[in-house]
Amino acid sequence: MYVGKKFMLIAWIFVLPALCIRFFTTIYPIFETFRISFFDVNLLKGTNEFVGLQNYMNIFHDPKMITSLKFTVLFVVGSMLGHIILGIVLALILNMKIKAQKVLRSIVLLPWAMPTVVIAIAAKWAFNNEYGLVNDFIRWFNPDFNLDWLIHTDTARLAVIAVDLWKDIPFFAILILAGLQFIPSDLYESAKMDGAGPIQSFFKITLPLISKNIFILSIFFTMWRITMFDIVYAMTSGGPGEDTSLIAYRITTEAFTNMNTGYAASIAIVLFIAMAILSAISTYAAKKVDY
Amino acid sequence: MKKSVVYVLAFLMTIALLAGCSNSSSKKGSSGSKDEITLYTIQSTQPGFKEWLKEAEEKSGLKINWIAAPTDSDTRQQKISTILSSGDSSVDVLEINDEMAASFKNTGWLEPLQDTVLTSDILSQFPQGYMKDMLTSNKGDIIGVPGYSGYLALWVDQKKLDEAGMTSIETKEDFINFMKAATKDGQYGYGGSWEKTYVFNEIATFVNLFGGDYFDWTNPKSKEAVKFMYDMVNTWKVTPIDQMADKYEQMNQKFIDGKYAMVFMWGTGRDYKNAGRYGKDQIHMINMPKFEKRSIFTDSWSYVLNASSKNKEAAIKFLKYVASEDGELNSWKNFERYPARADVASNPAVDSDIKDIYTEIQKTNEIHGRPMLPQTMEFITEMGTLFHHYIQDKITLDQFCEKAQAAVEKYQ
Repeated sequence: MYVGKKFMLIAWIFVLPALCIRFFTTIYPIFETFRISFFDVNLLKGTNEFVGLQNYMNIFHDPKMITSLKFTVLFVVGSMLGHIILGIVLALILNMKIKAQKVLRSIVLLPWAMPTVVIAIAAKWAFNNEYGLVNDFIRWFNPDFNLDWLIHTDTARLAVIAVDLWKDIPFFAILILAGLQFIPSDLYESAKMDGAGPIQSFFKITLPLISKNIFILSIFFTMWRITMFDIVYAMTSGGPGEDTSLIAYRITTEAFTNMNTGYAASIAIVLFIAMAILSAISTYAAKKVDY
Repeated sequence: MKKSVVYVLAFLMTIALLAGCSNSSSKKGSSGSKDEITLYTIQSTQPGFKEWLKEAEEKSGLKINWIAAPTDSDTRQQKISTILSSGDSSVDVLEINDEMAASFKNTGWLEPLQDTVLTSDILSQFPQGYMKDMLTSNKGDIIGVPGYSGYLALWVDQKKLDEAGMTSIETKEDFINFMKAATKDGQYGYGGSWEKTYVFNEIATFVNLFGGDYFDWTNPKSKEAVKFMYDMVNTWKVTPIDQMADKYEQMNQKFIDGKYAMVFMWGTGRDYKNAGRYGKDQIHMINMPKFEKRSIFTDSWSYVLNASSKNKEAAIKFLKYVASEDGELNSWKNFERYPARADVASNPAVDSDIKDIYTEIQKTNEIHGRPMLPQTMEFITEMGTLFHHYIQDKITLDQFCEKAQAAVEKYQ
């Protein structure tokens, strides 16, 4: 369709506010962050010196950053595996034709509807050895059980992943459920007539037909996990030591607590590049993979 | 749609956009008026806040708008750092703690007060060592008015002390004996708040009691203090390792519930009063025991003036009020904050059992501001992390001291 210059001009005028907002809130900060990442900017010391790639080199020699990187990888992989496996199981349960199905679906979504910070603060108490409901529950079966989850590296990391799963699996499951409901029931009936059991039906029919949903959802959920910050901020403050500091938490700490703005910017740029690469690969794969 | 309507809409949107992007030069700070300020306060959740505010407005003659600071310490520090570093003028006066004062006093973000508020007659009434160590910049500017005077004092559960057959804790041996005697049936002789950004208070307290130096980890007495804390957890098992995740709220809850026999804590015991656990026969403050010496830390939250404020005249009026006798008494009456000014503390209106113990502490203890470096939070966090590694046997005592010394040098 031919569009006159006059109308294009009007269209641009309508789009201009959105473009301006996007420029000042996204494009400009990205370029500014990139610029600052080459400077040693420390607001408390009052320094602002060009240091080239020094901040980037420091990232890979900073033990705190290496710990953060390791935990972020562990967190993303552990959490995503949990999301996929438990999310599918939950979606299958929610797809079963049972009484009170609607009520069950609403209840399951409750953790997702709660603010992460509220959940994380509650989790800090829940994993407390003395007052926590987690240990209270375990003590029903083992009265002598004693463990303060948040003071040991492995258990603190496990607790953080568990809280993330508890909060976000329902949302993941509901989105999978939407995919499940598009599978025609004829397929299952035919399979049943051909002698296929429930397990065979799941692996031969259900899983292939929802795999694209799972893949697309996994891209977004992985991105969210990589930039996750609020759980550790409110639940562990990155502790014990720095063992549960996710990268996003480290960026915040460097930028707003330690006021090492230049160093924080360099970590943010590295994270940005990693996210961009991951996003490009995922988008390419999503287009190419044929289900 | 008619063309004319489209043109009008486009024109209006452009105008709205330009108006939104333009910087209104007539716009003032949030308050804007000569007799109005905006206060960023940590006190808004206190029961007496409304009464305090009413009296402060009446006596200062100002309209005081207020913004509640976040209750979480990390969030609060980040918010305040952002406000000050970005030149945000929407807040005129802020309350900051010692950690923030140590970080901000040399940045130029805070207005000097020695010529306007803390004139020599007023200044002489405040604790001089504290004012010099915590609130005076390298250039000699005084940047804050202490809102109160507090101690990181020893609080004891009297019932447990009685059960242990002891009447007081005067020495290191008493301290150890009481910890051991009170540790039984899942209860501990000592409770701490050892979360990585909180534990430095207790490390520094023990270093002082042992006669060490928090900035010198080659000093055997500093080393001895940390070894003492290690032994409390791992050798004598008189304090739980679980407290590594605890901030004051968790520690106080456990103390109130009778799980601990004594703790080091700030303030005048409001939490214990609210829980019905305060009193001479229950939880109360006692004098510091003498290890190598009696030594105690003092602290305060200070009122500071944002250098970017557009209402400096009104803000100074407010700061003069909080530094005055009326201001300090208002704070005592409504928040139970012990007056920082010596002359006000001796006022008969300040009448409480806390006054007796404060007087005893002042007579018998070395009183210090806490050891802080300009990169305060980074230093505190690093020391806390090292301490966690040490008490969990991830590093040895020698490694702890070596790394602690490196941290001192790095952040100095």
